[in-house]
Amino acid sequence: MSLDYLIVVLVTISIYAILVVSLNIVVGYAGQPNLAQGAFLGIGAYFAAVLSVRYGWSFWWTIPAAVGAAGVAGFVLGAISLRLREDFLAVTTIGLNFVVVAIFQYVPFFGGAVGVYAIPLPSIGDHQFGNADFLAVGLGMLAVVVGISWYLERTWFGAALLAIKDDETAAAATGIPVAPYKIGAFVLSSALAGLAGALYAPFISAVTPTSFGFSESVVILAMLMFGGLGVIGGAIAGAVVLGALPEVFRFISDYRLLAFGSILVFMLRFQPQGLFGEHSAVLATIGRVVPRRLGRRDAGSGPGRGPASDGPA
Amino acid sequence: MALLEIDALVVRFGGLTALDGIDLTVEAGEFVSIIGPNGAGKTTLFNVIAGAQPPSRGQVRFDGRSIRGFGTTRMSYLGVSRTFQVARPFRSLSVRENVRLGAAGRQTLASARTLAPRRRATDMTRRVDELLALTDLERKADHKAAELNIGELRRLELARALAAEPRLLLLDEPAAGIGADGMRPLARLIAGSREHGLTVLLVEHHVGFALSLCDRAVVLDAGRVIADGPPDAVRTDPLVVNAYLGRAASAQAQVARAAAAPGSVAT
Amino acid sequence: MEVFASSAVQGIVQGSLYALIALGPSLTYGLLRILDVANAAGLTLGAYVGLEAYSATGQWWLALIAGAMAGAVLGWLIQRLLYRPILGRGPIVPLIAGIGVFIAAEEAFRLVFGPYNRTFAATLPLPALQVAGTQVTGVETLILLIGVTVFPATWWLLRRTSLGLAWRATSQDRETAQAMGINIGRVIASIFVIGYALAAVGGVLVGVTYNTVYPTMGDIPAYKMLAIIVLGGLGNPLGTILAAMLIGLVETFVVAYFGFVLPRDAIAFIALILILLVRPRGLLPGDEVVQ
Repeated sequence: MSLDYLIVVLVTISIYAILVVSLNIVVGYAGQPNLAQGAFLGIGAYFAAVLSVRYGWSFWWTIPAAVGAAGVAGFVLGAISLRLREDFLAVTTIGLNFVVVAIFQYVPFFGGAVGVYAIPLPSIGDHQFGNADFLAVGLGMLAVVVGISWYLERTWFGAALLAIKDDETAAAATGIPVAPYKIGAFVLSSALAGLAGALYAPFISAVTPTSFGFSESVVILAMLMFGGLGVIGGAIAGAVVLGALPEVFRFISDYRLLAFGSILVFMLRFQPQGLFGEHSAVLATIGRVVPRRLGRRDAGSGPGRGPASDGPA
Repeated sequence: MALLEIDALVVRFGGLTALDGIDLTVEAGEFVSIIGPNGAGKTTLFNVIAGAQPPSRGQVRFDGRSIRGFGTTRMSYLGVSRTFQVARPFRSLSVRENVRLGAAGRQTLASARTLAPRRRATDMTRRVDELLALTDLERKADHKAAELNIGELRRLELARALAAEPRLLLLDEPAAGIGADGMRPLARLIAGSREHGLTVLLVEHHVGFALSLCDRAVVLDAGRVIADGPPDAVRTDPLVVNAYLGRAASAQAQVARAAAAPGSVAT
Repeated sequence: MEVFASSAVQGIVQGSLYALIALGPSLTYGLLRILDVANAAGLTLGAYVGLEAYSATGQWWLALIAGAMAGAVLGWLIQRLLYRPILGRGPIVPLIAGIGVFIAAEEAFRLVFGPYNRTFAATLPLPALQVAGTQVTGVETLILLIGVTVFPATWWLLRRTSLGLAWRATSQDRETAQAMGINIGRVIASIFVIGYALAAVGGVLVGVTYNTVYPTMGDIPAYKMLAIIVLGGLGNPLGTILAAMLIGLVETFVVAYFGFVLPRDAIAFIALILILLVRPRGLLPGDEVVQ
């Protein structure tokens, strides 16, 4: 495997990691079902693509545009989520994928079935982006998203999202204004997915409607559930493992999807909280091997494993 | 002006009338127990006061102001805190975090401060620590709420509700699921919380527990108030006994009432 | 006027097919609060097995039976190996697990039966009818016949049999039903067997109607059925039948009168989202316990 190829794979994984860590805000923290993250990726990517190809915007300016567009879409979904109970919301988000893809296919602004292609490479000054530059930006974006998520865990807002996930009724009675918090989670999660979209567009150099359909959203959610709901490290692990899978299994590429589906099923059957979530077998094993730092914590929790454990006071 | 005024409150769910014209006034500082047989409407009444259930008809005024359409969050900002019949802790969070969220209130949760790190909120530390000590949860303060047993969960709910420094505390069957041993410390805890000038409404199925704590007891049956007075009077009121136990027992109660000296115990 | 009549008839046929395929997921949801995407694997399996049976024997009714049996077996396996062990983990885990199984199943079909479209040219000894001035082909008549049988049969099953009673009890309150002696395991197994068999029969009918069988033929139905059961009011199989007919009619009319302005499959979801905004619990909410 050449270095350049490895870099391309890493860029793909970073894009997925951004998508999974941002999805975690809505699904892992706020506990709302969201099977539409692919649609928000698509909205960001499409806006970046159109602005870049048709209006000559520089890559750097398409970033806030993509984030904004996806964030607005997230606001709409968040508002809808207030009215719908869990299963209805889950199915609505599934449907959202189909509706968004249909909009991409049929609204002329988005270029129709062909999509938008020949997206120009970004540049800094005279230097045009190579794959290494994409990786640098990708990792930078990932760092930003991880940073935001990490900070969120330590705020009142983050704890309140967990409270809403655990028991919405009690959360409201405890003084948490549930509606704006839910909407806020959706907006943040979607906006950050749009961020990934801004990188995706020039990297793939074309956007087509069918790239952002339901299967894409399922892959992203599967990565999150595989790695561990509510745990940033788990989210990244899910993106890395399942994102690297197509490459690892390249030699039996015909069976890739079969492997993906099977791994997903086995994971959910035996470790439904994910590889690094609660009751994680992996973490328990590590906990037994590595000496514990503090006496009080049990095997499944520890510093940096979620908003519950920010220590005394 | 009374703290809580309820006029002719009616609550209907489709064909079912849960509350059929309730009149109730609660002054600040009172401890009122609301008892009654199953299905009498006690929890529905609580839900209305807490803002979780809109009235079908009638008026509810808190602090002189109508609370129609307010919702539980707004009621909590006005100073109404509640515990739940089935404990509702935030399982993912630690005990301490549960209580801190209770303490956070409007200034933090409904303002930009919600985006500040929690660790910095040292102004709440003392209150939270006091409450953890009061409810004997200090040792478990950093454990996740999911790990607590039922007695600890009830104490956690109480701590979380008190953390908001409420003016009106609604306790929904706090003794449910707790054995006789657990009830005495719980009773002490609840009695102790009154020292802060708190007004308490207690709904409880365990009549003895409820009557031992209150200044005044209100008895509901089939959505109506059938008795409202000092615990001893209510305890032997034939209407009340009848509602719980049926006619034969009611006749017995009348005899007991005639024979009983004031203050004698009969549960 | 002809367009209206033929659209109406086509819509009813399409709706009946949808209803047949959606019944399984609807019953499963009512019972377990699980959105079962894997059910569509039963559809595809039924189509393939039915095709093989028909190719081997030339008997169309054998195709239906073979397909149904294959579906029944798959249903039994899936509930036993996948869903039963993960009950009580909330709704998202079984949903994703079901999607995982579905993806794996589609791949398995591709590897076993090949990725190419196969034709399912079956001649049914059923006359082409003239209904309301429009032609109804043999297989469409069959669909209507099956529909006319299955739907009252479902009502009868739910309202008049002990299985139906057990289903209703378990869907209201699983613990109490168990405490009262209902064998939950058997109820679950029966519902999955029936639901997947129905999907498999639907698969055979789809294969014959469109004269094609391919590994991913279950894709659209998998998710469209979700929209339909939500629309009909989760947990209400009769509402599902109603919603299925509605969607079938709406799709057919939109395509007939507006051409391809909207992709057909987005229509069900657009309808769903619009209706949920007005009635957040679906058209005919079931008796689910409000959480």
